[in-house]
Amino acid sequence: MELQLQELNKQYGTKCAVNNVSATLTSGVYGLLGANGAGKTTLMRMICGVLKPTSGSIRLDRKPIDELGEQYYTHLGYMPQDFGFYPDFTAREFMMYMAAVKGLDKRQAVSRTKDLLNMVNLKDVADKKIKSYSGGMKQRLGIAQAELNNPSILIFDEPTAGLDPKERVRFRNIISDFAKKKIVILSTHIVSDVSYIADTILMMKQGQFILQEPMTTVTDHIKGKVWELLVDERKADEYSRHFSVVNLHHEKNMVRLRIVNETAPTADAYMVEPSLEDLFLYHFGEESQEQEENKYVG
Amino acid sequence: MLVKYEFLKILRKKSTLIVMAISLVLTAFLFGLPIMQFQTYNQNGVIKGTEGIAYEKAQSENYSVLLTEDYITESIQEVQELFENPDNVGTDGNEKFLIGDAYWNEIAPGEKMLNLIAKAYSNPNEYVSYNHMPNLDVSKGANFYKAMEIKREKILNAASSDLSNEQKDYWRNMARNIDIPLQYGYYEGWEIITTSFELLMFAILAICIVIAPAFSGEYQAGTDAVILSGKYGKTKLITAKIIASLLFGTMAFVLHIIVACGLPLISFGVDGWNLPLQIAGLTIPYPFTFLQATLINIGVIYLVQLAMIGLTLLLSAKMKSPYLVLIVLVPILFIPIFLTPSGATGAYNLTLFLLPYRAAIPEFGKYISYQFGGLVLDTFSMRTIVYAALTVITLPLARLGFKKHQVA
Repeated sequence: MELQLQELNKQYGTKCAVNNVSATLTSGVYGLLGANGAGKTTLMRMICGVLKPTSGSIRLDRKPIDELGEQYYTHLGYMPQDFGFYPDFTAREFMMYMAAVKGLDKRQAVSRTKDLLNMVNLKDVADKKIKSYSGGMKQRLGIAQAELNNPSILIFDEPTAGLDPKERVRFRNIISDFAKKKIVILSTHIVSDVSYIADTILMMKQGQFILQEPMTTVTDHIKGKVWELLVDERKADEYSRHFSVVNLHHEKNMVRLRIVNETAPTADAYMVEPSLEDLFLYHFGEESQEQEENKYVG
Repeated sequence: MLVKYEFLKILRKKSTLIVMAISLVLTAFLFGLPIMQFQTYNQNGVIKGTEGIAYEKAQSENYSVLLTEDYITESIQEVQELFENPDNVGTDGNEKFLIGDAYWNEIAPGEKMLNLIAKAYSNPNEYVSYNHMPNLDVSKGANFYKAMEIKREKILNAASSDLSNEQKDYWRNMARNIDIPLQYGYYEGWEIITTSFELLMFAILAICIVIAPAFSGEYQAGTDAVILSGKYGKTKLITAKIIASLLFGTMAFVLHIIVACGLPLISFGVDGWNLPLQIAGLTIPYPFTFLQATLINIGVIYLVQLAMIGLTLLLSAKMKSPYLVLIVLVPILFIPIFLTPSGATGAYNLTLFLLPYRAAIPEFGKYISYQFGGLVLDTFSMRTIVYAALTVITLPLARLGFKKHQVA
C-alpha cells in the first residue's frame, strides 16, 4: 500500500497552512513533528478526507482519494486532536456506533469491540458512561475506535496530549501492536512519543516538510552540533541567553548544559551523540520558546 | 444500526428529557386551562370545573337535534312567544332579553343553539343572539338554509373580501357539499381543540430545540472529524441522522397531540366528533365534521413540524453551534404571532397565513384562497403544498451541508 501526497496546499485567506507538501508513505510508523501551528493537523485532516486541499492531490495506490470515495475510508482509522465523545454513551455503545459508521456488520462489530476494549484495558468499564472516564481512558477509547475497521492507514493527531507518563508508555505499546503492515502517522510535538516507535520522521515547519528521514539516520544532520559543558550558575544563565540549550542539569554548585550549536560554544565543551529532541530544538528552538512565553503572557 | 444509535444519541441527552418534560407540562397546562376555567350558570349561580362540565353536558342532551326548517321555525316562534309576555322581558336600556323562568327554563339550556340560529339572519361580522328573534318574520317558514346561503354570498361578494369569480365559485362548490339539515349537538371538547391549535407551536419549538444539535452538535463536540472519516460518514450516517430526527419529531409530536387532544376529550367527552363544523360557525364553507377538521389540521401542523425539522437540520448542518440554530429558528416560529392579518386577501395576508404560527390556526371561517391562473387552492391545500415542499427541499440541503462540511 502506498499513500502519495502530491504538492498539497491549503490556504486560509492569505495564510498558507500547508505549503506544497509532497511525500510517499508506505507501511511503517511516521512521526510527524512540528511546533504548534506548523500545519500538522491541517495536513492530517486533508489525508483523512475531511478537509479539501486548495490544490494538490492525495492518492492511495495511485488513485485519487476523491475517486475512491467510500472505499478509501475503509482503509482509514483516525483519532483527531481534541476528539470529542458522546458522554451519555457507554464505551461499548460508542464502539458499536463507530463500527456502524465504519460499515462493519453486527457480528464483526461485537467481536472487534470486545477485542479492542480488552486491548486498551477498558474491558471492565465498557458499560460505564464515557462521561465518567478520565482523560487517559478517553484517549485509549479514541485509539480503539480508530482501529475498529482494522485500517491500513492509521492517523493519530496528538494522541498523548494530557496523558501522564505511564499512560504514554501504554499508548506507545498499543500503537506498536497496531502498526504491523500499516501506514501509521503519529503527529505530536512531544518528541519522546515518537522516538521509540517511529520508523521515519517527518518534520514540518510553516506548512512545509523540512525533513523526511528514517529514524536511524535522522539525527545525522546535526552530528557534530550537539555539545555538553559544565559551568557555574552565573555562566549557565549567560549561555542560556546566547545558545539553544536543550537540557540543563544541576550538579552540586555546577550546571551541566546540553547545547545545539554549529560550533563548540566554548573550548571546554565536548561533542555528544545527538538525539531526536536535539534535532527538534535545532529546528524549532526559537518557536518553542516563543510559544512557551506566549502561553504565560496570553 | 445507525438509526438506532442516532436515535439513542437524541434520547440519552438530559437536555432532551428536560425540554420534552417542560413542553409536555406546558401543553397540558395550556390545553387544560379551559377545563380548569370552565364555568356555567343556572338559577342558583355559577357551577365550575368538572361539575359545570357535567351540568352543561346534561343540559345539552335535549338539544341533540336535526336542524330542519320546521324545527327552526318552531324554535323561533317559541322565543317570539316568550318575548310577547312582558313579565318575561328585561332590558339594559339598549336591548331586550328574557328573564326569570322564561330564560332559565326555556332559553339557557339551548342558548348556544338559539344564538347560532339567530346568526343566520344577521349581517356578516354583526353580533346577534336569540333576543333578535322577535324581529324575524317566520310566517312563511324560517328559510334558515336560504338565509345561511345569503349570508355566505354577502361575505363572498363584499368589497373587502376581494375574491375573484373563480375563488367565489370554489367556495360555493365547497359549501354545496355541506350536509343539510345540520345535526346539532354537544361539541365542547372539540371546540376547545379546534380553537387552540396554535398552542402546539411550543411543542414544535421544543422538538426543534432537541433536534438542533444533530449536526452542529458534532461540530461543537469535535466528533465531526472522526465520523466524517468513517466509511458511511458522508452517506448512510447523514440519512440515519435525518431519519432519527424525523422519528423523534414524530413520536414527540404524537405525544403532544395525545396530551393536547386527550385532556379536553377526557374532560368534555368525545361527543360531537361526527357533527358538522357549521354548528360552531354557520358560514364555515368546509364540509367537515369536527373529527375530520381536527385530523386535517393536525396533519397540516405535522407537516409544519416536518418542515421545521428540515429547516433545523439544514441550519444545524451549516452552523457551528446549536445555539446559533435556535437564534435563527425562534424568530421564524414566533415573529408571526405579532403580525396581525388585515383581511383574508392580498399578498401580505396570504403570506402571513402560511407562516408557521399562523399555519397552525385552521381559520375555518375565513375564505382564504390562493389562485394560480385558473387553479384555486384553499388554505389547507396551500399549507400542505408549502410545508411538504419545504420539507422536501430542506432535508436534501441539510444532507449536502453535512456532506460538504470541512473540518477546519
